Amino acid sequence: MAASVSPPVSAGVVFEARKLRKVYHTGELDVVALHGVDLDMRAGELVCLLGASGSGKSTLLNILGGLDVPSSGELHYKGWPLDGSDERTLTRFRRNCVGFVFQFYNLIPSLTARENVALITGISRDPMTPEEALEMVGLSKRMDHFPSQLSGGEQQRVAIARAIAKRPEVLLCDEPTGALDVTTGITVLEAIERTNRELGTLAVVITHNAAMAAMADRVLHLSDGKIIREEHNATRLPARELKW
Amino acid sequence: MLHPLDRKLLRDLSHMKGQVIAVSLVMACGLAMMIMTRSLILTLESTRAAYYQQYAMADVFGSLKRAPLAVAERIAALPGVSVAEPRVAVQVTLDLPWLAEPATGHIVSLPEDGSDPKLNRVFLRLGRMPEPDSRREVVVGEAFAEANGLKPGDPLVAVINGRRETLQICGIGLSPEFVFEARAGETLPDHRRFSVLWMNYRALAVAYNLDGAFNNIVLDLAPGAAGAGVIEQMDRLLAPYGAAGAYLRKDQASAIRLDDELRVLHALSFVYPLVFLSVAAFMANAVLARIVRLQREQIAQMKALGYSSRQVGVHFLKFVIVIGLLGTLIGGIAGRLMGGGLVNLYVEFFRFPSLEFRMDYRALGLALGISAGTSMLGVLSVVWQAVKLPPAEAMRPEPPADFKPSRIERMGLTRLFSPSFRMALRNIERRPWQAVFTAAGLTLATGLMVLPGAMSDSIDYLLTFQWNRQQRQDAAVFLVEPASGKGLHDLENLPGVIRAEPIRSVPARLGYAHHERRLSITGIAPGSNLNRLLDDKGNPIILPEEGLLMSEKLAEILGAGIGDEIRVEVMEGRRPVLAIPIRGLVTDFAGVAAYMDIRALRRLMHEDDTINGAFLLIDHNRWDEFMRDVKDTPRAAAVMVKRDQLSAFRETTAKSIGLLRKLYFVLAVTVAFGVVYNSARIALSERSRELATLRVVGFNLAEVRGVLLGELGLLVVCALPAGLLFGRGLVVLIMSSFSTETIRMPIVINPSTYSIAIAVVLLAAVFSFTLVSRMLAKLDLVGVLKARD
Repeated sequence: MAASVSPPVSAGVVFEARKLRKVYHTGELDVVALHGVDLDMRAGELVCLLGASGSGKSTLLNILGGLDVPSSGELHYKGWPLDGSDERTLTRFRRNCVGFVFQFYNLIPSLTARENVALITGISRDPMTPEEALEMVGLSKRMDHFPSQLSGGEQQRVAIARAIAKRPEVLLCDEPTGALDVTTGITVLEAIERTNRELGTLAVVITHNAAMAAMADRVLHLSDGKIIREEHNATRLPARELKW
Repeated sequence: MLHPLDRKLLRDLSHMKGQVIAVSLVMACGLAMMIMTRSLILTLESTRAAYYQQYAMADVFGSLKRAPLAVAERIAALPGVSVAEPRVAVQVTLDLPWLAEPATGHIVSLPEDGSDPKLNRVFLRLGRMPEPDSRREVVVGEAFAEANGLKPGDPLVAVINGRRETLQICGIGLSPEFVFEARAGETLPDHRRFSVLWMNYRALAVAYNLDGAFNNIVLDLAPGAAGAGVIEQMDRLLAPYGAAGAYLRKDQASAIRLDDELRVLHALSFVYPLVFLSVAAFMANAVLARIVRLQREQIAQMKALGYSSRQVGVHFLKFVIVIGLLGTLIGGIAGRLMGGGLVNLYVEFFRFPSLEFRMDYRALGLALGISAGTSMLGVLSVVWQAVKLPPAEAMRPEPPADFKPSRIERMGLTRLFSPSFRMALRNIERRPWQAVFTAAGLTLATGLMVLPGAMSDSIDYLLTFQWNRQQRQDAAVFLVEPASGKGLHDLENLPGVIRAEPIRSVPARLGYAHHERRLSITGIAPGSNLNRLLDDKGNPIILPEEGLLMSEKLAEILGAGIGDEIRVEVMEGRRPVLAIPIRGLVTDFAGVAAYMDIRALRRLMHEDDTINGAFLLIDHNRWDEFMRDVKDTPRAAAVMVKRDQLSAFRETTAKSIGLLRKLYFVLAVTVAFGVVYNSARIALSERSRELATLRVVGFNLAEVRGVLLGELGLLVVCALPAGLLFGRGLVVLIMSSFSTETIRMPIVINPSTYSIAIAVVLLAAVFSFTLVSRMLAKLDLVGVLKARD
């Protein structure tokens, strides 16, 4: 995103979506995944997206992260329109502004933890060092291990280190603990929490797990492609105190 | 009702149709060559066998100066002889109004009683045989008639024993004796200037003072009779009559050419397809290994449902069988089409009553067996790994692949490499066999690419060597009978002759140990500058005062080397039997020859200054004048014009090799493309998760492409030099299979050929990469990442 022109931004708003719609054409059937979503997300917020499968939360997350484009409606990132952007712009957006974490860690098996992170630091504008990023997720002792030598939780933390190393404005996590047991899941959530707090990153976390909502500032409940309910937590519960 | 597993097979195959096609095409290339060559072999062999049998090709051939017909009866009575047919056979000059130079006719007499010959019968294409009492009617050879537009009823002027006679063409014919129709000793046909003619015995015999006698005889052997024994007795019997030494059918000029061609085909039907099938086996292995890895969980499911390991194994082997069937089908059709087209080329060289392409269906079965067999061999280990996995284990997602720093990195060079290069190195080291197979496929593809270029290089070299450096004369004139030195003087005095160098050629039988060859020893003058003898580097060889020089190929046939003494039975004059050492070997590429200093040869023959002809350098401004005069020289039996020989070579051998070259080129390109595409496609599928991750975290398409293609690029770069080396080996192998008495291909590979091979492989690589890059651009990022392995 070019920094030379100051777009009209309401203070701290990162994402601003209006009437977002996404329709998938599968064969003769049109599947409406998003049904006119309006939302604002601010810097430093931790937002949880809750909902059953097929409720549209992943579609929303993918569109926010520039992995997909809306069929109609408007989406602004810090005042810049993302809807209708071409592939190059979206690639630049992902490269500079967004960190992703998926349920499956998607590490490159042929690279060590440090190298997996270095993959990103090599192409970003103002990255932290791989060592700093791994330190943030508590993996400074396992940096030269290959994915096959790390546990599931460790692999997911490398994935988070990889996502935050570029100091992204936004951290998007799609069921980051889905494949992990409770204890390991919590260490992963702690890493997300720490990033959100220390770097002021907007973190959006998709989960099936209602217990996780307690650590968020805000919880958006999705159903049938619509936000049906929004909750605000007056105080956030630290991740280590979560129980499920 | 299709079994559900087979339905799965078909759907899986249709999902990977690009690769199925790539592997089948490579397989088809090899099979097409195999089916084509084997069908051509079948076609030639069966046609030849039928022709030889129906038209009674003789078993033994002999020529002599002159013997009374009664001697033929004594030969017929020899043990082991079933039929003996005495004939008159002579060389005459033909005068065709539209040709500046004289043409040559080889007239063979027909039985005096007007019956069909008992041996080497004539197949009449058009017209009829000469009337029994006709003195001027002739049947002419088909190729000559076609080349000159002659038909029954046309006149034909011949100089018969010094007298111009106008003959009448009554028929157009062929004979098994002249399937390959060319002047004695010539390796290439020249249909415009050479013909076989058949005419009645009496007319011919009278003209040559051979009435009641013969100068040529052919025999049919009794079943089981030993040819060598018959030849020995016949030579002894005919020695007083100037016998030039009898020989068996396998040593007969036309039969040798056919055998040579079949030998080349046999070699091609094996070596070349083998390379393709090996490549296809490598590719099939890579494809199947990928499917098995992708379907790890499906395999577990099948086994959990109760399918046995054997059923699962067979299911995966069926992938290869389907690919093999497809390859055989395409290869069969292509082989048939190519063979059907190539068979027409043979008409240029070989004349049969009819040459119908015959598909070798056994080859088709063999092809299917070999293609499915080699690919199955390639995939057995992969299938075995798949089925031996316990279902519970297979159903768990595969743990992250186990990697370690590559050997090069452990040597401390890590800092030099980018992460994507490191990924490539570690990937290669983790699955070395997959890398080796891919590199091997690429190596073979590069090597195949060298062959077509090397063929043109070889032809170019041969043309320059043979016709610029070795033969520098414009024409060679051969006389009807050996003549004295005055003969040379006459030739020197022909208009336009700048220089004349004498030729003395003496028919002989050369033997070493148990090997033997009949040919003429050519005596040439020391310091000869028109027909030069060259060594393997193309440098002139100084003619030794005594001893023989011979073609490398002739020495090879005789199994002799420099310094060995050759047994020389001279078949002319006082017929001495001598032992003459080989003093040197001559490099030449067409036919075989033996040479001596003309003075030494004359001393052996106890003669003065006898010649058979001369090499001539001619003033090109007086060419027509020269030709006119030669035509009117009754003693000139044949004129060989270098320019015509060169164009005949270009028309025949160069043309057919050129066609083969184009074919090889297309096949090589197919393989290069198929191998690279297949590898790139597999890399894309196996690493889609990695690549999608990179895209998601912000790598642009070009950067991700770099990661995908880095590994393949590395393999391509490694395979190129190996491929060029392999290409050279393949060239040596294939060219050596071309190496016959008729023609030999020099092994020459110009740097440009190597460059083109590299360029084509790189181009194929770029093209495949482009295709795969397009798929990469369409990769469903989210879908791939959310899916479990």
